[in-house]
Amino acid sequence: MKIGVALRSCVVVSALFAVMQGEVSARSEFQVFSQANSGRGVDCAMCHAHPNGPEGLKPGQIGSLNAQELKLLGLARTAFEPGSSVENPILNDFGNRIVFELGKRTFLELRAQPELLGSLLSADSDLDHDGIPDATEFLQGTHPLSSQHGAPGALFLHNLGEQWFPIVMLAVATALGLYGLRHLLIWFSILTDQWSAESSSSEGD
Amino acid sequence: MNVPRTFGTIADFFAERFPISKLNFRSMVQKKEVPIHRLSWAYYLGGLALFFLGVQLVTGLMLLFYYEPTVSDAHASVEYISQHVEGGALVRNIHSWGSSCMIFCVLVHMITAFAMKAFEKPREITWISGVALLFLVFGFGFTGYLLPWNQIAVNATKVGLQSIEEVGNYLPGALAEIPTRIKETIQGEATVGQATLSRFYALHVVILPLGLLSILGLHLLSIQIHGMSQGVDRPTGRTERFFPMFILKDFSLWGVVFLGFFVVALCLPFEAFFAYPLFAPYDALGSTPDGIKPEWYFFFIYYPLELLPFWLVVGLTMVVKVVLFIAPWIFRGTSRKTLRAIAVGGALYMVVMTIFGQQIYEIFKGGHS
Amino acid sequence: MISQFLFAGLPYLAVALLVIGSIYRFRNDPYSYTALSSQFLEDRKLLLGSLPWHVGIFIVLFGHGIAFLLPTIWGSLTSSRLFLITVEVIGLAGALLALIGLGMLIARRLTSAKLQKVTTNLDLTLLVLLGFQVLTGIGIALQLRWGAAWATGTTTPYLWSLLTLRPELGYVTELPGLVQVHIVGAWVIAAVLPFTRLVHVFSLPFSYIFRPHQRVIWTRPRPAPVNIAASPDSRRTFMKGALGISSAGALLSVGFMEKAVRFFRGPDTTADEDAEILEKRLRRLRVTTEERELELERMKREFIEVARVGELDASTGKYFIDYEMRPALAFLGSDGFPILISAKCTHLGCTVSSKVDSQGRLLCPCHVSYFDVRTGQPNAGAPAKEPLPRLGWVLFDASGELICTQGPDGKRQGEPSAEALAHAQVFISKSHEGASS
Repeated sequence: MKIGVALRSCVVVSALFAVMQGEVSARSEFQVFSQANSGRGVDCAMCHAHPNGPEGLKPGQIGSLNAQELKLLGLARTAFEPGSSVENPILNDFGNRIVFELGKRTFLELRAQPELLGSLLSADSDLDHDGIPDATEFLQGTHPLSSQHGAPGALFLHNLGEQWFPIVMLAVATALGLYGLRHLLIWFSILTDQWSAESSSSEGD
Repeated sequence: MNVPRTFGTIADFFAERFPISKLNFRSMVQKKEVPIHRLSWAYYLGGLALFFLGVQLVTGLMLLFYYEPTVSDAHASVEYISQHVEGGALVRNIHSWGSSCMIFCVLVHMITAFAMKAFEKPREITWISGVALLFLVFGFGFTGYLLPWNQIAVNATKVGLQSIEEVGNYLPGALAEIPTRIKETIQGEATVGQATLSRFYALHVVILPLGLLSILGLHLLSIQIHGMSQGVDRPTGRTERFFPMFILKDFSLWGVVFLGFFVVALCLPFEAFFAYPLFAPYDALGSTPDGIKPEWYFFFIYYPLELLPFWLVVGLTMVVKVVLFIAPWIFRGTSRKTLRAIAVGGALYMVVMTIFGQQIYEIFKGGHS
Repeated sequence: MISQFLFAGLPYLAVALLVIGSIYRFRNDPYSYTALSSQFLEDRKLLLGSLPWHVGIFIVLFGHGIAFLLPTIWGSLTSSRLFLITVEVIGLAGALLALIGLGMLIARRLTSAKLQKVTTNLDLTLLVLLGFQVLTGIGIALQLRWGAAWATGTTTPYLWSLLTLRPELGYVTELPGLVQVHIVGAWVIAAVLPFTRLVHVFSLPFSYIFRPHQRVIWTRPRPAPVNIAASPDSRRTFMKGALGISSAGALLSVGFMEKAVRFFRGPDTTADEDAEILEKRLRRLRVTTEERELELERMKREFIEVARVGELDASTGKYFIDYEMRPALAFLGSDGFPILISAKCTHLGCTVSSKVDSQGRLLCPCHVSYFDVRTGQPNAGAPAKEPLPRLGWVLFDASGELICTQGPDGKRQGEPSAEALAHAQVFISKSHEGASS
């Protein structure tokens, strides 16, 4: 319910944003879609450098950029065709990757159909190496740049595949350790039993 | 009132609970027997909780090497642990999962101990120290939650502390000020800030562990002195030796649990179950993100607080707390069958609130538009 | 020529002797296929010497065996520096243990009068050979370090080349003399093995650990009382226990100690990563500094600037911090005057959203309360019962002249023109703070 409410207000606001601020505003259509599609909370930090989006004076927002970063920003804004590797300072690696793969023109067109972004992004790109492609992470509302974040089931299976060797080794070590511990305890109890049998027999004398 | 006699009664009470004749290795370890019946599995839960406490101590000490308890550095140091320190993400993840596992074990342990009437004379002290341990463990959960200084941590802590202040609305006259004072004492300043972080840090890593370990010592000592309670109304008469047979099974269980626990902690980050904006550094000037909730083990009190009048929930909580502490005297004559029914009821409530709390909340509060 | 004999001829000769000699001895004198235990003659020093020797040499031989049998896996494992160090330390410890044990055994042979009678020259030769071999091994471990790693590229392929009957001597003839001596020593020991008590390696008493225990009954009464720790049942249990624990410990120490050591040592970051980490910390420090400055400003100054009226918006509030360091929001009212309202939810203190919904309300996401942006009143049935308090404000024009003020109660003083209003700056005032609380 809460999410639904937040969403509706988000839609209104993002529409307003788009009208007011034109091109530089955060692409909240994608945020809204990802949130609705996944049921998870999503913020601008999925693609942007700052969780509140590009507007503002905080680090990672337009107001904080120095001359060199502004130049990079200007360069990035002209990357209309796919294949140009940009380093837009207000975007994070995933944001820049989208621009690289689709180009800004396609991306801007997608605003009307944000659901297509997931299928247009390449399924090979997995920037955080957590086994879940960036495109899927966009659809599932998880962070594409955090290997600690992803759909729990898929993440678990992927890590299990990566970590099978230590797990097997640990299983062997646990079995051996338990075996040893078992016998040490039995040994200790034999000792104490004999010791108490002896001391009670000597008491009997 | 006859003072010497009162003292004498108190002395007798403790003498009966800690008989000198039983304070030796032979009586406490060698001679100890564990009853065998269909509820015997419940005897392992306390040991399991102890195991997770060990896990928490070890991983907690490891995290202490890198964690920095200041509002500017706390989140950065936690990020540093998970992203740069070798195995840091694993250690942190073990600590997160371990806290949940420990609280789960402690809760189930308490419910089964209640159902088995393990608080019966002469085990009152075992029970009371156990209830104290339960609250200490909740204290660990609450204070530890704040330390990463992310959005969900700080906001959930704010909500938790604010509810102390709410109590003041139901107190008359000058008393109404007291909860606010308590809150500000815990908080250390007007809002949750550096002072709160320092206090929670001190509580989480020094004060609570010291308290926990000392009460745990008492708890374990009285368990070893009096042995396991018989647990059922009609004992089967069969027992097994505590040492080495029971201990062996205990350790084997620990080994198996450790293996499963480790696999989960290695492969499944705790944070994957939450929305990532909740783990962004706390921003005092921004708005609160959606989905601020306490940890699952507080759901049983969180959702009622959301749904029912505040005074009712607080009143009920106080009653439950008191009943828990003096259970050995309240339920002195109650049969285990009745106790079991109460325990099942309590357990059902916890399970339903924890798993379906959100749905129940939405059913009753869903009318918003 | 000589190296061809030592590294190709000798090995095949040794193996031939080993096989033929062992079989011959087994067929002709099977009961001599033992270690010829002298435990009955002297048992204390035997235990002190034999146990460390066997444990130590077992560890060392196990290491040699792994490097020979699984060179690829071993090679990739030893490429990790910490694994290499761990393995070398374990190996060296094993070798030293073996050396101590062997020294004890040699001393025992030389000092016990009873043993002198049963000690043959061959026994002494064997002890010396073994001692020599252990010493050269330790020498290699200390002088030519990281043998666990370089062996996979030198001695392992050499041994495999012998095994496949295509001897490649190039692998070893270039090695330092100490290694060559160690290799030749190994072949010599292999050659004499069948003729000495060392032949017992072919009858490793693994079954000892698992067989049902046998009680040794002495036909004449022993002077000393039976030592419990040495009773066969408990001793065997202890050995099983120690075996299990130590192998688990070994596995864990190879796999996890490495991780643990790295955890405590701290990360190996590159200069770039260091810079990035430091940058991030500085950013966070700056945020904290800003907050602290806000706090100081509020302690010292009578008026705090919020925004220019022209910057304010009716639908999206601007967050600012009030005199109590609580979040607050500034909106533009429909009359052109600013609306300042607390953003701290009156329920449990979350910060309400800055965005006005279609019904002119602000949402607190924590427990879903909606507050009317104009009056601050919560919606009916909301968890919050109290309205969000309104804050007073003061307007100054560009020249710093006070042109209008409004208290928290909503009473306004001064009527600026529309143009003056648009250019005015909104401040909050300390004097209002006292009035509201």
